[in-house]
Amino acid sequence: MSEEPITLFIAKKIVTMDPATPAATAIAVQGDRIVGIGDSEDPDLKKATQIDNRFSQHVLLPGFVEAHAHVMSGGLWEFPYVGFYERADPTGRSWKGCGDIDSVVERLVEYDEQMEDPARTLIAWGLDPIFLKGDRLSSTHLDRVSRTRPIFVLHASGHLATVNSEMMRKSSIDRHSPTPGVARDVDGEPTGELQEPAAMSLALEGLSTIGKAMMSSEAKWNFGLEARNCGVTTVADLGTTRLAREGQLEAWREVTDARNYPARVVVAFGHYDLGAGPTDIDDLAGIAARLSNEEETTKLRFGIVKLILDGSIQGFTARLSPPHYFDPPPGHPGNGLWLIPPEQMSKIVASYHKAGLTVHCHCNGDEASQVFIDAVEEALTVHPRDDHRHTVQHSQLTTAKQYRKMASLGMNANIFSNHIFYWGDQHAEITLGAQRAAAMDACATAERENVRFSIHSDAPITPMSQLHTIWCAVNRKTASGKTLGPNERIDVHKAIEACTIDAAHQLRLDNEIGSLQVGKFADFTVLESDPYEVEPEKLKDIPVWGTVVGGVVHEAASE
Amino acid sequence: MKSWVTLSQTAIEVTVVGGYLGAGKTTLMNHILTASKEPVAVLINDFGDINIDSELVESVDGNSIALTNGCICCSLVDGYVSALEELRLREPSPERIIIEASGVADPASVAAYGHAPGLYLNAVVVMVDGANVMEQLSDSLVAQTVAAQIAAADLLVVNKKDLLNDLGTVRNQLKKLNAGALITDCTNSQIDLDLLFGSEVVSKAVVPAEMNQFDSRSHRSEDPISRQALAEWVERLPDEVQRAKGVLRLDEEPQIPMVFQLVGRRWNLRALAERKNPPLGNQIVVVGPKGLVPEDWDVGLR
Repeated sequence: MSEEPITLFIAKKIVTMDPATPAATAIAVQGDRIVGIGDSEDPDLKKATQIDNRFSQHVLLPGFVEAHAHVMSGGLWEFPYVGFYERADPTGRSWKGCGDIDSVVERLVEYDEQMEDPARTLIAWGLDPIFLKGDRLSSTHLDRVSRTRPIFVLHASGHLATVNSEMMRKSSIDRHSPTPGVARDVDGEPTGELQEPAAMSLALEGLSTIGKAMMSSEAKWNFGLEARNCGVTTVADLGTTRLAREGQLEAWREVTDARNYPARVVVAFGHYDLGAGPTDIDDLAGIAARLSNEEETTKLRFGIVKLILDGSIQGFTARLSPPHYFDPPPGHPGNGLWLIPPEQMSKIVASYHKAGLTVHCHCNGDEASQVFIDAVEEALTVHPRDDHRHTVQHSQLTTAKQYRKMASLGMNANIFSNHIFYWGDQHAEITLGAQRAAAMDACATAERENVRFSIHSDAPITPMSQLHTIWCAVNRKTASGKTLGPNERIDVHKAIEACTIDAAHQLRLDNEIGSLQVGKFADFTVLESDPYEVEPEKLKDIPVWGTVVGGVVHEAASE
Repeated sequence: MKSWVTLSQTAIEVTVVGGYLGAGKTTLMNHILTASKEPVAVLINDFGDINIDSELVESVDGNSIALTNGCICCSLVDGYVSALEELRLREPSPERIIIEASGVADPASVAAYGHAPGLYLNAVVVMVDGANVMEQLSDSLVAQTVAAQIAAADLLVVNKKDLLNDLGTVRNQLKKLNAGALITDCTNSQIDLDLLFGSEVVSKAVVPAEMNQFDSRSHRSEDPISRQALAEWVERLPDEVQRAKGVLRLDEEPQIPMVFQLVGRRWNLRALAERKNPPLGNQIVVVGPKGLVPEDWDVGLR
């Protein structure tokens, strides 16, 4: 028996997600593990070294698992946010949304005044012109902030940036610039808007500063703090970190080894880590498998490989089956883009599959889901393997037939439920039409067809907040307040399962996290009220007190 | 018709090679590396794919391989921007860069990187898998990707001619998808590099005899040309003339030799790098299908 002290946490209610003991009021923790769970009056539990009553008015859940986010979500907070929706930063400060160009300019003026070095580039992020009335942001507006300091504003889509005239001067962008994507006014002068990566890269200083910030240790810390603030105790960085790059593994180790780092992180290996199109996928698989076998700690995990097969629905680049897009913009070719040739998928999936890894493949469109499912089936035919848990990521248009096939192959899904709120109106009106939009992000279908699934934010694409994601899956309300596809709603319990035990399952961690059981890590989400008791419409408004990760208590930051 | 002027004295020429999986892009990269008469840099997706004769390898340094013939082969592991920047800052920097786009990339979006300061775009070359392209164009999974690549080309290379029964059908299909591009064909990606780069056209003002499916005609004159006259001449060029290259003097700055080039329907004009030994006056060569370049093609230049 270990001599370590045992702490007994008393709570108003403990939701365990363990069907054998669904609810409790006390949980005993020794070191980073759960050693007992039950009633607070249980005499065995009361033998604990110390009793911790701070959660006596709180509800504890198994720590939320966000199985699809990206570490740059943390890196962007090095720069001021100028997006439309209010957003909280890792320190808990709430940034009001910028509803028009004047408020964008105002925020940047504030920053400009605070910056000591007058030559340093001012970078901002999150701008979403769709929501801003009036003119489009241009260098003329940004010149009101400064004509001497370069300014670079990254848009929310990541595909556009707007710069001021000093940045254009420094980057040799003028009326003669031949690069497509340098937007021009009627007189042929550049407006400051740079569209798509080639044009954005002309303002190299802005882009590379952001690139460095994304991969910094501070980004990794912010990622953990952001997770803590929304009650997430395990978060997956899904293929953003280039693990084959020198220093990245060590940086993750150093950050997650810190006792006060408030999250377990699953760093998925990006298929493109070593290059744009590696021939020898077996080499990549070897690296990924080695990380999984040799480099794991209790708070840093590997074993997942991320592939990206198509684009996004709102960007009209996801691969959809006929009839493709509902009302695409003029000149659109009809369907989306492949990021991996479909013919190559069997070989790629087979390599990782053989190496014992779990493949998580980004498939926004149903045509992409089908290509991935077919590749998994082929891999399984050649190399039968139990319990692989290959996962369709985003899975926004996966059909009932595809879910049936996935169930029979042992596949999982991670459904992008946040889309319902953030883009649901646009999907109903523009990208998919009302009928297909009602059937998107089909949690109820996945449940009916017996596919284990999780739900996610894809932060920073949408803000990380499991309660908001649960609210989306349960209510399916769009930003305009419509209910999109009421038959695909799921109940609160199923949604919580998706964010705990089933998310843990697809990250291959369900033996250690995802439910509160003796022997598992003492990872809890601490809420101010009971998600089973509140009105479903209020789920997203439940205050998060904080988390416990491996027995260490982390209070969420608030202003 | 697009046109522009880059006045940089040391601009590096960029050529983009696109085409769907299996069309022969990597084989072409190999061919360029071994057959190029001058040192070039090639940017490729994957070192593992390219099969360079070990006797040709001088040194391997991280993401680049230096060859004994002066060529460099770099990986695109860190993306286009960083690879191009590295080459631009190299001493001496290469005069010519060839970028291999990935099998699903839209070569036009890759070509956009070829317009950055210090670079200029020569052409978008798209390799077409002659044996499979008709099938690809009727496969709902890949048809759109393949068609978009074809549409983005200045020069279309129908590869694997040896496996192809009906070149005419393929050519007609390509013309439907891209009426403006120059179309050529080959086996095993063995295309004449002068067609790709037009370098011989500049230095010798002759077109090599191997280009036997094409006719070439040359123009020589001494008086500087006005920019407007040049633009009007280009506008009136017969459709058959799809490749032209030359050195000329503009009346606004006759002391600066300007390189003129046209590939498919794209043309540009830029100052010739100092290090070259420029010819005097104007020399332009045009290339078109055999028997189709009219006698009076250079009337506007006289």
